[in-house]
Amino acid sequence: MAPGTQWEVAQPPNDAISSLEFAPDSSKLIVSSWDKNVYLYDVGANGADEATLIRSFEFRAPVLDVCFGANDDEAFVGGLDQQVYRLDLTTGEQTALSQHNAAVRSLAYSREHSILVSASWDLTLHIHDTSSSPSAPQPTITIQLPGKPHAMASSPSKLVVAMTARLVHIYDLPTLSKALQSQTPASEITPWQQRESSLKFLTRAVACMPNDAGYATSSIEGRVAVEWFEDTEASQARKYAFKCHRQAANDEEGGDIVYPVNALAFHPKFGTFASGGGDASVALWDAEAKRRMRQLTKFPDSVAALAFSGDGKFLAIGACPGFQTGMEDYSGEGRTHIVIRELGETEAKGKGPKEK
Amino acid sequence: MGKKKRGHPDLEEVISRPWCYYCERDFEDLKLLISHQKAKHFKCDRCGKRLNTAGGLSVHMNQVHKENLTSVENALPNRQGLDIEIFGMEGVPEDILQQHNQRIIQKYYQDQADRRAATGNPPPGQSGTQGPAKKVKIETPEELKKRLAEFRARKANGGGAAVSADGQSPAQGVSPFPPPQAGFPYPPVAIPGGPAVPVVPAYPGGQVYPPAFPGGPSPPPGAPSAFNLPARPPSGTPTTALPQRPPYPYNGGGAPPGFPGAPSTGDEHAGAARHGDDIDQLIRMAEAGIKPAKGAEEGAADKKGKKDKSRMFYSDSDNSPEEKMALLPRYRFTATAA
Repeated sequence: MAPGTQWEVAQPPNDAISSLEFAPDSSKLIVSSWDKNVYLYDVGANGADEATLIRSFEFRAPVLDVCFGANDDEAFVGGLDQQVYRLDLTTGEQTALSQHNAAVRSLAYSREHSILVSASWDLTLHIHDTSSSPSAPQPTITIQLPGKPHAMASSPSKLVVAMTARLVHIYDLPTLSKALQSQTPASEITPWQQRESSLKFLTRAVACMPNDAGYATSSIEGRVAVEWFEDTEASQARKYAFKCHRQAANDEEGGDIVYPVNALAFHPKFGTFASGGGDASVALWDAEAKRRMRQLTKFPDSVAALAFSGDGKFLAIGACPGFQTGMEDYSGEGRTHIVIRELGETEAKGKGPKEK
Repeated sequence: MGKKKRGHPDLEEVISRPWCYYCERDFEDLKLLISHQKAKHFKCDRCGKRLNTAGGLSVHMNQVHKENLTSVENALPNRQGLDIEIFGMEGVPEDILQQHNQRIIQKYYQDQADRRAATGNPPPGQSGTQGPAKKVKIETPEELKKRLAEFRARKANGGGAAVSADGQSPAQGVSPFPPPQAGFPYPPVAIPGGPAVPVVPAYPGGQVYPPAFPGGPSPPPGAPSAFNLPARPPSGTPTTALPQRPPYPYNGGGAPPGFPGAPSTGDEHAGAARHGDDIDQLIRMAEAGIKPAKGAEEGAADKKGKKDKSRMFYSDSDNSPEEKMALLPRYRFTATAA
């Protein structure tokens, strides 16, 4: 197992990838696709450089997001059919948890608080308590949002929801947990913080630092911002944004082609993060030192999703054609790939002065 | 030649500019060329380390990243090979070197002729009193063919001796490229064995790019050239295995600093880099068989280089790509379709 090797998953989804995530404690990788399926892989099992498809689960409509639940056998699924499902990965049993009035865009599960949050284009968040048994009715709170949610991510104690019109709401998960228990009316639940995005354009992805200190957002205009939760002047002065995932145009018009930054993922240990863009490249950044550590280029197509494994050993990259302005048709069929990169010991480790 | 002509370096200076084997870009000095090669062609795309040669990069990729380098980055299509060890101007195969020089010479005369046509100035060494009778001697195609035939006959007889039989021994120490005065001392390139394609450099509107460059067949290694260049010693060593070349003969000039060295665009002061890019583009267009509309093209390219005209791959700031995709018939979900 040489460091820094990468290989492609042999049986990728049949259509574009919407999301992928590693199980927190194992080498299982779950992938949601526009082909209505959720795929479960085992990556690097037996030390081999391959990922085997364990099984796939079909849903009624294209799946937009998937995430692992309390253990490696539980996942939550949301998509265009407006439902939030609990999926048992061993039996394949699907249990509908709640019904939105529009497609479910993203899901976030907090292990610490046993909370599942679903964000839908119907401008609501559904807060689910998953601590009770799957069959029992679960208390759910519906929170109205001021804008359409496009990306969501959770840290150990915070939930970041990025919406249209550059709105960013940050919720405090312990507060949500208490509200669930005491059945507080939704109208009394307010965001812990309301912010305006540091980026001028539509937010594309959000990822939270594993150390609960802050988060990164990316936009359709080749830019990434890093911010800190702490609402002090000193902390807020630390936030920054930078350009990335751009390419000089080779045609006669000149200028740069600016690609959307579709995916962000923090490394679970090093506090560094990866960004994946429409330019079919992935960059590894040192958030503290504000430096790019590595650029991984030449993926088969636009990078749609990224995920680090729980132990930080693997980086999964979902590549499929990017949706471009003016496109009237789209299909990721036959052009969808999953690349697994096995990171070298220090490949994703920051070199910054604040390195632990 | 006594006086320096304004802004137009002479052929010797132009031809002595170091240039990059991989992308045909030329540079003010060897140091710039080497740093260009390190940055553009010998840089590791994994860690950004700049190596000195393609071979060095290959070893680096192999040892550090466990990957195999298959081709040189940013190189012209037929120059991506790793088998040739290039460092600066070292290691450029003789035939490629001659192709390049031929192209430079043609361009030089073409530009000179264009300038004269544009300004109406007589060629140097001719004052107005001498009248238009003493114009640049332009050989007719017949003359050219005759000369070519003579040359070939000489070559056939003399073989390797053809060069010295020319009466212009490189050992004389003078530049093999005398100032352009009467006539053209450079016969068209004869591709040995190939069809004779006489390309007259100074014909206005004539072909700027030699047909043999760069996609065409290159002369076999060690073949006697039609040039008055000192040919490689006729040892018969294969070109690909020659890290050492005959000493570079054109260094006599000592180009005065401050010349952008761009023979084509005397009025362009954007610097060597800009010009290099233009050359790159011209080469690529020539390869593709496209003839640029020269003046307009360059002007436009300059303007656009200054403006930051970035284009967004996806620009809708209100709706995400997913929302658009969700509306496509391919993915659309209707609640009734259970």
